[in-house]
Amino acid sequence: MADFQLVHRPAVHEAFASSAGAVTLQPLPEGRVIQVLGKPAGDDLRQILTEFAGTGPHGLRSAGPGQWFIVGDSPMTHDEFQAMAAKLAQHAFLVDQSHGRVRVGLKGTRIVDVLAKGTGVDLDRVAVGESAMTLVGHISVHLTRLAPDAIELMVLRGFAESLWDDLVRMSREFA
Amino acid sequence: MASLVPCPHCGSRPKEEFTVKGAALPRPAPDAGEQVWMDYVYLRDNPRGRYEEFWHHTSGCRRWLVVTRDTATHEIEASRDVAFGTSPEARA
Repeated sequence: MADFQLVHRPAVHEAFASSAGAVTLQPLPEGRVIQVLGKPAGDDLRQILTEFAGTGPHGLRSAGPGQWFIVGDSPMTHDEFQAMAAKLAQHAFLVDQSHGRVRVGLKGTRIVDVLAKGTGVDLDRVAVGESAMTLVGHISVHLTRLAPDAIELMVLRGFAESLWDDLVRMSREFA
Repeated sequence: MASLVPCPHCGSRPKEEFTVKGAALPRPAPDAGEQVWMDYVYLRDNPRGRYEEFWHHTSGCRRWLVVTRDTATHEIEASRDVAFGTSPEARA
């Protein structure tokens, strides 16, 4: 046992909202983030993984060839994770990233203009439900379009605050 | 100089997302000998014009690509995944 108690603190503190719904930044619940690494030369696992993706919107997200994230707002116990890993053992390796990656929600009419300042992805061509691994500034993010006016960014926890500060600064124009 | 590199998996992305690893030359046989391997690893030409290079999509899908690029104009003719090999056309 450790001599001290680990204290869980949110990576990002408060929401940011500009006037008239142009941009809203919202830290999302730190639920589950499961990284799925398909076995080499495996089949397309999308169909198989869908049943594990939960009930949240777009719970299964692609992250490059043979790689996915399963995300959701509700946390997962160690036993649940082990059970999922056992069921998928013949297809893929799973890594629990729930404490390693933080999700940030962007909503509003000008979010594409905000993100265009930081990323090279052509967001007009990212359809609802599609994802992209990319950079925002120098920070690596996984980006998913949840709705025409909603995009979610997932970032390594240690970079979350820095990304957040950048996003707030990028949003000021529309405040 | 153009700054967009087409990735067959991700589409056009800024070159900052990639790591360039030089000419995509045929790899010598494991027992080809020290001199051949020295040449392959350390001695590279720096040709002007079109040739194939290894690019790694470090901040994207993390796949190794072969990009056919002209070093004089930076025009990119094609890109393909090294491992999959068979997907010749990149997404625009």
